[in-house]
Amino acid sequence: MNCMQYTIRPGEINIDIKMVARVMGFDPGDIPDPFDELIRNELELIATYDDIKGGYRIFRHAKPNLSAKTIAANGIVFNPGKQIMRFLQDAEMFAFFMCTAGETISNRIKEKMNASLQVEAYVTDYIGSLLADAAMDVVHQHLAGDMKKQGLKVTNRYSPGYCNWNVDEQHKLFKLFPEGFCGIRISGSALMQPVKSVSGIIGIGTKVRFDKYVCNACSNVNCNYRNIKHSV
Amino acid sequence: MKELLDQISCCIEFGKINNQSPYPPDMKGKDGADELTLKALNEGLNAGDILNMALIKGMEQVGDKFRKNKIFVPQVLMSAKAMGAAMAHLKPFFSSGDVKRKGTCIIGTVQGDLHDIGKNLVAMMVEGNGYEVINLGTDVGADRFLEESEKYPEAVVALSALLTTTMVNMETIVKTLKDKNPGVKVCIGGAPVTQDFCDRISADLYSPDPQGLVEYLNQLHTTNAAN
Repeated sequence: MNCMQYTIRPGEINIDIKMVARVMGFDPGDIPDPFDELIRNELELIATYDDIKGGYRIFRHAKPNLSAKTIAANGIVFNPGKQIMRFLQDAEMFAFFMCTAGETISNRIKEKMNASLQVEAYVTDYIGSLLADAAMDVVHQHLAGDMKKQGLKVTNRYSPGYCNWNVDEQHKLFKLFPEGFCGIRISGSALMQPVKSVSGIIGIGTKVRFDKYVCNACSNVNCNYRNIKHSV
Repeated sequence: MKELLDQISCCIEFGKINNQSPYPPDMKGKDGADELTLKALNEGLNAGDILNMALIKGMEQVGDKFRKNKIFVPQVLMSAKAMGAAMAHLKPFFSSGDVKRKGTCIIGTVQGDLHDIGKNLVAMMVEGNGYEVINLGTDVGADRFLEESEKYPEAVVALSALLTTTMVNMETIVKTLKDKNPGVKVCIGGAPVTQDFCDRISADLYSPDPQGLVEYLNQLHTTNAAN
């Protein structure tokens, strides 16, 4: 299998306290104690993590079936749904990806939860989610850079469980990668371990484009990440 | 007396745990739910009045503001912590039977699902509104829910799921519980859950927020009290 895998250095991760505060619902300029300290402590710990990993596999011959609204890769047919297919319809090839914030932060969340430290667990959990997403930003940038050299562009990334793409299709996605790729496993109910992990698809081609704001396409109006600007 | 109860209620509403707690910033250095509840008991206030007229009152405000997006999860967690500090002083009165809870709620995240922050948030809100909560944790199967439901036949069961793949397990749990005890009330919630799904699996309530479950429990409590 021709998979690209990266170990992401903490220095490459772009998360700051203002970003965390904003998604938690605080005024970034006025974060109350104890949250200010809790967030700062968690962010400082990121520098010690050495298990943040991500990667992708490109399928050059995968083509979208526009009438069936499906994408086939390696004989596996994906049904991302009408909404996502609209964004991927011009793609000439596809990259499937996986990325994890690692076991360390996932275990920290579990430990705090087991100790009934709900506030602390919540802060760590939130930062874990942002970390997985920020790590995937790095992988996305690697992919975009590689494709640019070939005169190709990339789309935004889309994941099972969002935009009406059935989360169960994550099982199919895992079949495209060697077992234990990036250290990520999947349960029978399509729950990834470590828990702070992401997977999905990115379209590649000459006619595709990356949108900085894609939230209008999503029906989850209560999402805390809504309208956060993305970039690759 | 009313002033002290209002102060405790305010501590719950704004998440002021104790004197040392820096949160919320505008209450820094003041006594919190911890000290004020102890003070109220020492001044001879009835534990039931403290629960009903201060703690529950404060928590109702929290639930209402959370529903209206006026506050977010962190603030609710701080309120729950303040509630926990006050409740610690009332525990002996629950044990002795001097103060009675409104009812019991068995809560858990369904089989295959390990998400527990949302479920714990609901559990804290329910507890803060005067109910005993039996929190079974995550990845809970039908047998475990049934086992606990048989121990507390009057308890309402609340199921949580955050994935469409695990949401389907709610159907088996509802069926298992209702086959054994047709009168048991089962409530469901979680990101992918809808009213349509609730109707399809014959659950008794779908609520998109914790306050909806609290209101449902309060309705049942009022009806049961009237009968």
